[in-house]
Amino acid sequence: MSPSASRSLNAVGLLAVSLVLIAAFLDQFVLGELPCPLCLLQRVGFVGAAFGLALNVAFGPRPSHYAVTILSACFGGAVSVRQVLGHIVPGTGTYGSAILGLHFYTWALIIFGVIVLGCAALLFFERQFTGPEAGPSRATAFGSAMLALAAFLALANGVSTVLECGGGLCPDNPVSYQLLSDPRLPGR
Amino acid sequence: MMSLPFFGLLAGFGCVATGRRRAALLLWALSMLVMLGLFRLHVTDALTIVL
Repeated sequence: MSPSASRSLNAVGLLAVSLVLIAAFLDQFVLGELPCPLCLLQRVGFVGAAFGLALNVAFGPRPSHYAVTILSACFGGAVSVRQVLGHIVPGTGTYGSAILGLHFYTWALIIFGVIVLGCAALLFFERQFTGPEAGPSRATAFGSAMLALAAFLALANGVSTVLECGGGLCPDNPVSYQLLSDPRLPGR
Repeated sequence: MMSLPFFGLLAGFGCVATGRRRAALLLWALSMLVMLGLFRLHVTDALTIVL
């Protein structure tokens, strides 16, 4: 695989991870389900995974960039595992709604696994690291657009989290946006 | 505090866009450390499972 093909593939991966974050936002704003603290940390894992792909898109493919994506997916996956184990015993309840029979944290665990496997598969194509175009060059328009989309989703998640949790830790079962419903705020 | 990793990664994306790779990697590493710290703070209840 040539470096430019690898960059294009990473840009497509960036789009795929961004779609996961957009789906989480749709659930939050359309269905009104506030993300729990562990859900937010899984989103951080997805943004971190996107970050490694963005490094490949912007600077060219490097093993260390894939390591960024793999480690982020492992950290996010660890959070998913903890949440799945918290609900795995029948009768212990669930969090949020299910899609195709699985809850968001279970889907997150599966997708983190797919990200790790995908990166491992891409690492087999060593010519992407040694080809004549492997050095730094400008990202394509599509790659730049995907980088901007991922950055926007990081910003949107940051703002949404501030609105939901304020400046501290989030409650385990959030029911409202703290910053929008706090009566101590001036003007309310 | 929960938003810190998002803003850290956002700053990292800014570094990526402006060609500062080392700073971008540093911001990613810091964001992941904060994320793991927040994970530790939020996981306080024992799991009712037997391993």
